Amino acid sequence: MLALAGLIIGALVALLLQPSVPAETTRYVAMGMVAAVDAAFGGTRAYLDRTFNDRVFVLAFASNAAVAAGLVWLGDQLAVDLTTAVVVVFGVRIFQNLAALRRRLFGG
Amino acid sequence: MLDRDSLILTVVMAILGFLVCTAVLAGRAEREQAAPRQAELVRLIDDRRSLVADLDQAVERLRADVFRARTRVNRNDVRDREAARVAAQLAEQAGTVPLTGRGLVVELAPSKRQPPSQQEAGAYQIHDRDLQLVVNALFASGAEAVAINDSRLVSTTPIRSAGGTIVVNFRPLSPPYKVHAIGAERRRFEASEIARRFRRWTNLFGLGFELREERRVEVPAYTGRVTISSATPAPGGARPAPEPDPSKAAGGR
Repeated sequence: MLALAGLIIGALVALLLQPSVPAETTRYVAMGMVAAVDAAFGGTRAYLDRTFNDRVFVLAFASNAAVAAGLVWLGDQLAVDLTTAVVVVFGVRIFQNLAALRRRLFGG
Repeated sequence: MLDRDSLILTVVMAILGFLVCTAVLAGRAEREQAAPRQAELVRLIDDRRSLVADLDQAVERLRADVFRARTRVNRNDVRDREAARVAAQLAEQAGTVPLTGRGLVVELAPSKRQPPSQQEAGAYQIHDRDLQLVVNALFASGAEAVAINDSRLVSTTPIRSAGGTIVVNFRPLSPPYKVHAIGAERRRFEASEIARRFRRWTNLFGLGFELREERRVEVPAYTGRVTISSATPAPGGARPAPEPDPSKAAGGR
């Protein structure tokens, strides 16, 4: 519940402050977001499984986002579109985490 | 322990919400920046085009007004009447009055086929040279007034290409090119070299070439400047102009 409240508070802050992102880095930020969303779901799952480790969670959150953004940047330097790789990998993981969460919450 | 965990989870979730929102806003801003610029340019071009069309119409109307007023004023005197008659004849020859009459309509269109290679792509297009030859052939077959896509040809009209588009009277045209020619005879035009060549190219390259005889062909008035300025030789003589390369002018066919 608190996690959801945090999410909403963060979104509201962003909407109020309207931070600007340089146009050329928008792609990387978006890819980092996909990785961060995965980390958030993973963290929530671990929290419900009672295996939550704060250090692991914060590290996974930061490193996943950084690596995803970095990978896309590297792809751009090599003229290979690696956004698909990031989207596929983290997309699959997001759905897996979501399924686990559902099982945990509803016992399905 | 649980409290600390949920606090961290909350804080990180807040950061996540903040970042996601930022990314969404940035992405939207970028799209908005890219799209309207193109739309803006298209709108600007359309605006200017319609402005030019409006001015063309105004010129046509004002010229007709001047012509009518002059005829009315000159009605009383015999000499003035003669002058008005000459002026009307000259206007017809200069192309500043619209004409209607029996004639030919020639429609040229680029090929719909895919050119087999980049080098042969030119053969599948209509070039300024093709239009020049067709227009010359139409005049040779008796045409008195010719217009391409409603742009009247007068003796000073250039037919040129500018970066892939054909420009007539300094206005860009887009295919298909409809050439209206009053007074042209079908048989004489069909016997011309360019007409026979186009028949062949239609089979070979799929170029659009249509020829119709119409009882009522309308050709609009020329709306450009009719003042002619002439060049004078430079003092000390000038070098002769270089000969144009005929292989380049042929449009790659």
